[in-house]
Amino acid sequence: MTGIWFVIIMTSLWAGSAIVFTQRNTRNLRFVAVIASVIAAIATSLLVPLSSTNSITGLYLGDAFGALSFRVDTMGATLAVIAAVIGCITVIYSLDYMVTNPQQHRYFALVLLFIGAMIGLVLTDSLLMLFFFWELTEFCSYALIAFDSDNPAAATGGIRALLITQIGGLGLLLAALTIYSYTGSYAISTLVANPGLLPDHTLSLVAFGMLAAAAAKSAQFPFHTWLPGAMEAPTPVSALIHAATMVNAGVYLLARFYPAFADVNGWSSAVIAVGVVSAVGAAFLALTATDLKGVLAYSTISQLGYMVYAVGLGDIVASQFHLMSHAIFKALLFLAAGAVIHSAGTRDLSRLRGAGRSMPVTRGVFIVGGLALAGIPIMNGFWSKELILEAGYLHGPVWASGLMLLGVGLTALYTVRVVAVVFFGEAQTGILPAGWMMRLSMGVLAAGVVLSWLLIEPLTAQLAETLPAHDIHVVSLRTLVDDITKAPVTPIALLITGFGAALWMLRGTMAAILTQMDGLKPVMQGDFGFTAVNRHLSGIVTLTGVRLSRLHTGLVNWNIAAAAIGLLVVLVWCIGRAQL
Amino acid sequence: MNGITGLLVLLATGSLLVYVSPQLWTPRASRYLTMICMIAAWILWGITVSSGATDWQIGQIAYVADGVTFAAGTLVLLLGTFVVIYADHEASTNDRADIYYTLLLALVAFMIAVTHAADLFNLWLWFECMAVAAYVLVAFHNQERDALEATMKYFVQSVAGSTLILAGIALLLAETGSVSLAVIRDEASTTTPYLMAGALFVVGFGMKAALVPLHTWLPDAHSQAPASISAMLSGVVIATGLIALLRAIAPLNDANGFGLLLMGIAALNIVIGNLLALRQTQVKRLLAYSSVAHMGYIVLAIGIGLYAGQQTAIEGGLFHIISHGLMKGLAFLASGALLYNLYRVHDRHGTLTIDDLSGAARRYPMASMALAVALFGLGGLPPMVGFMSKWQIFAGGIAAHDTAITILLVIAGLGSIVSLAYYVPVVNSLYRQQMSPVVEQGGASGPIVNRTIGVLAFVIVITGLLPGLLDWLVQTAGTALAASFGL
Repeated sequence: MTGIWFVIIMTSLWAGSAIVFTQRNTRNLRFVAVIASVIAAIATSLLVPLSSTNSITGLYLGDAFGALSFRVDTMGATLAVIAAVIGCITVIYSLDYMVTNPQQHRYFALVLLFIGAMIGLVLTDSLLMLFFFWELTEFCSYALIAFDSDNPAAATGGIRALLITQIGGLGLLLAALTIYSYTGSYAISTLVANPGLLPDHTLSLVAFGMLAAAAAKSAQFPFHTWLPGAMEAPTPVSALIHAATMVNAGVYLLARFYPAFADVNGWSSAVIAVGVVSAVGAAFLALTATDLKGVLAYSTISQLGYMVYAVGLGDIVASQFHLMSHAIFKALLFLAAGAVIHSAGTRDLSRLRGAGRSMPVTRGVFIVGGLALAGIPIMNGFWSKELILEAGYLHGPVWASGLMLLGVGLTALYTVRVVAVVFFGEAQTGILPAGWMMRLSMGVLAAGVVLSWLLIEPLTAQLAETLPAHDIHVVSLRTLVDDITKAPVTPIALLITGFGAALWMLRGTMAAILTQMDGLKPVMQGDFGFTAVNRHLSGIVTLTGVRLSRLHTGLVNWNIAAAAIGLLVVLVWCIGRAQL
Repeated sequence: MNGITGLLVLLATGSLLVYVSPQLWTPRASRYLTMICMIAAWILWGITVSSGATDWQIGQIAYVADGVTFAAGTLVLLLGTFVVIYADHEASTNDRADIYYTLLLALVAFMIAVTHAADLFNLWLWFECMAVAAYVLVAFHNQERDALEATMKYFVQSVAGSTLILAGIALLLAETGSVSLAVIRDEASTTTPYLMAGALFVVGFGMKAALVPLHTWLPDAHSQAPASISAMLSGVVIATGLIALLRAIAPLNDANGFGLLLMGIAALNIVIGNLLALRQTQVKRLLAYSSVAHMGYIVLAIGIGLYAGQQTAIEGGLFHIISHGLMKGLAFLASGALLYNLYRVHDRHGTLTIDDLSGAARRYPMASMALAVALFGLGGLPPMVGFMSKWQIFAGGIAAHDTAITILLVIAGLGSIVSLAYYVPVVNSLYRQQMSPVVEQGGASGPIVNRTIGVLAFVIVITGLLPGLLDWLVQTAGTALAASFGL
């Protein structure tokens, strides 16, 4: 039964993608795209009750490739539903957003291809297919960032995103094949159930390889630089790929393999460190970002940092719960931001002053999303973030807890800043309200922000049932409310949130202090120097190419000389090996 | 007479008939006759493959048909068929379709013959015959100075390689009194004459297989030849050079040493090929440098397989020969279609630059899509076959559990990532909204060309989704190659 649903999901998305790509009639292709994404969303939702611990093996791919196998447990199923449902909402939103774009066939085809790849990524039980879908999502991400390749920034942003995530992906490739070479099986569940199959030092290399892959995919320090550049993508794509789904794949990977790596020396601490540095560092950067989507991008890095931190603490429930909340509220924030950008024609915060004032629906839902991001009760973001902070307080190092609380204050400050600048103040003229499809999509997500946390009990119950190796405790709604309201860290966090928000009111005084620290501004806007590091690295590679090309004179004499040297070296090598 | 002898006779006589046919019948006779020959060749090839591995002698000349023969021969015939169907517009420039098809057919025939040779002399002889056809085809646009210069370089360096091969053969003949691979295998030991002969083969055939630093002729030759010929040269001719190299060193009983040597050379190929391709602005030249890098992946896999006794790695290398052949073939055919529509249709001889391609997808959706599929496949992205063949190379390498090999694999992986930095701008250019002036004035695309490259793109995606389709070919070849090295 599960297998049939899986086939229906993948066929509707990928066949839909192929039809959309080849269809020249815009009306038809938009229709097909919506139908395909709706079918996939419904079918994926129906998969959740079917989740179990069983692997289902399908098509045999070849001796070196194993079989196409997948496993619908609740961790995968939740992410698949997020991908399919938010994917469907994005497609519907894009009907308005992309209405005048002449290359809609390519856009919708890539979005559908991406949704399928993301669902495959979280449901597969084969290491090869995991890497296959991992790379496929990267490809879709690149192609959609560079969608408007007439714009040089989009083209560069796309290439940068692809290359950086690929460098991390190399870690996954080597880790996956190392696991295969020791266990003789591509099944992910084999290693998770029995990490002792790998020698200790090998397991530790595998664990850190996966951490690199996850950090690159989830835009964590030091690989985070691609995400701000990815904001050149059409905004619905930023909402879907770069906020709600693909960037979660890194967190998913860590959570999936957590039982295998938990005992690896230093791994948990490294994961915590990556999470904390990303959460706090990116929150600082979000304060100084000058474009609306840039703020949201840094905020995504920061929130993903919280999830990574939770995995490092071993609290898979908190991590998954925040992942779900974040996917919904960040998608909402991006779609609302997209509506403003679409109307105002710019992403620059200084030119967006008051732009959202005359868009009542958009303004309302953005504030709802903002409240969730800042962690204000009773939005979904409040519950999930408090769960993480509580876990940190109970099980984590003190320095990490302290920094994460600082991050909470920064989050409140940058959220208030964006809301105040874009949606308050003097209204701009000539701003049209968002289209009907856009408002519908945002309304659905806003409802999700207010209500999704009520799902905690079925979510954790099913997680506990289908992930025996992950040591998951069921959290009922009542315990959640009790725990959070009684936890000592909750009032502290709320206080810091309030203080962070209040700092905005004091911005006049703050500005005076900040002018003293003007020297820091270029450092912050240069991404703490990471942009320069990237530039230098690519510069070195290109320069080496230039130097090497000087050896290629195109003159036959030199060519033969090179060949003669080659001959000499090979002869010496071979004769050196000879037994005289 | 068995299937393969029939096939070679067919292609050899066919090639002569193709040459005279336009005088006897209509001008287009050479094209039709070539197609008939290819169909007949497929039938005979089917008989050969289905009757399994065998060896036989014609007089003193020994032949072998094993897994390597089947894999290489199938790829040569497959790509050859696509090229023949595609080539109509390219062959008819210069009004020399007769020469074009004659040499193309000869190229295919001699390449298949190379893979059958079981003694060194024939290996060398068939290879030289093939090379002669290749020289003339590179110079097909013989009114262009650059094409002639490229041919000269190719010719000079290739002949230098041939001399070294002959010297190696002479050494072995003096030592064993025979050129038969079987006899040499029985006699060979790790002593100076044998290893010196091996060194001469590695450099001699390495020249033809574009191993660094012997690759310097390739970027010129592969970018100046007509695109369909570049597809054959980059797709299969250099790989045939590698297969001849492996055939020649296999009996020397030093899999470990040659494996190590090949691994070192492979690293150079990967680094040099990828870094030099980064700076290219001409599409065909970029593809040529990418071939240098891809020979690196293939040689790395086979080197690891020989050094560490990993058959998965050897199979990965052979799989990559097939997958690279298809993808590079498609890349050249698709860029050739664009080159033709943008330049040659107006009788202009330009080189296709990345900027020329701006907006091409709007007017040439099929050629652009096919080029994108080929380039992403070469970059190792799914769902193209290049992803799977690279995966298998890595799988074989990691399984060796050797730190040095893992470091080489990391270099290969980084090389593959760098390669995306030069493939991707080409695709970005194709899918721009703003059309370049040459695209705006470009001619209409031909339906046959579009269908040919469309089918080839489909093959690349299907084998990428279902790599097991090629298992039988790759595995028999891997077993045969490993066995020939005594593994």
